[in-house]
Amino acid sequence: MAIFAFAAAGAVTIVAVALIVGALVFYLVSIILQLRRINAGLTEVMGGVSEMVRKSAPVNGVVRTINEHLDTGVDLLEGLLVKKAGMEDAVGLVDGLYPGSGAAGFRRFPESRTARPPRIGEVYTKGTLTLARLGREAPIAAASPAGPALRNAGYGSAAAAKLYPEPRQAHPPSLPRSPVVGTGAPIQYGPSPPDTISWGRTGYEAQAAAPEPTAPEPTPVPEPTPPAPDAPKTISWKRS
Amino acid sequence: MILWWLGDLVLLLVVLPIVVYLLAGVLRAAKSIPERVEGISQVAAAGSRDLNAVPLLLTTQDQVIKTVAGVASYGGSLDIIIDDAAPER
Repeated sequence: MAIFAFAAAGAVTIVAVALIVGALVFYLVSIILQLRRINAGLTEVMGGVSEMVRKSAPVNGVVRTINEHLDTGVDLLEGLLVKKAGMEDAVGLVDGLYPGSGAAGFRRFPESRTARPPRIGEVYTKGTLTLARLGREAPIAAASPAGPALRNAGYGSAAAAKLYPEPRQAHPPSLPRSPVVGTGAPIQYGPSPPDTISWGRTGYEAQAAAPEPTAPEPTPVPEPTPPAPDAPKTISWKRS
Repeated sequence: MILWWLGDLVLLLVVLPIVVYLLAGVLRAAKSIPERVEGISQVAAAGSRDLNAVPLLLTTQDQVIKTVAGVASYGGSLDIIIDDAAPER
């Protein structure tokens, strides 16, 4: 009986150990397989990261060079603007183009931050400021708070049309063209006969009833002829 | 004899479940790593593709240099043909 009990206890122990070892083997082998997958994935990631590092290596130098050249251009334009327009007008011009930016001033001119910008934007037309903007913004394309006006031809033409309205209203054509005058006109009128001109008023009456002075109209000047001694005096434009 | 049986019970009811629980946790964590690694690999590949335009920066650099040189030439001409601002009084 005792031997059977020992054998049973030993068998249970062997089974328990076998179960534990089996669990260890199963899970450890599974973990090894997963670690191999992780290793392969990390190798692939390392390839991509190495490629990124290789491609981005020259970025710093190139961007630094670009920034240096742009800084040089900005300094050149700001210096030229200050030299030609003066500090206050230059700040006012920039403030007219970019409202509120006058307070920031120029980078190379610390005194520009304290300058009081004149209201150039209210004095000069937008076309003038746009021309000035071409000089400031064209090589160094900074975003304008008013939108891409320089690169929008429709916006630019609309602004110009507001500045200089057309009296003829050619867009759309609503008014007839001017009549053709002169020797090439389709309708020719002969000179008026002299007796159709009414000179019934005296000079004094003509001046008293004369209308308000208007724009002078070009009138044909008659040839001066000496009056006949016995001819009646019918017109005189001078006070007698 | 009783101690032996107690040892067997401990092995079956305590040690074996703990071993299984711990190893299952490790396996679960190990299985979650390849998905993340695959995601990182895709992101790295996309980032590498995005950097394909980096050589164009050399063209941009060349254009900027030429543009600034043109601006300098233009500014020099303006400096000659436009009078300086009057000195402030």
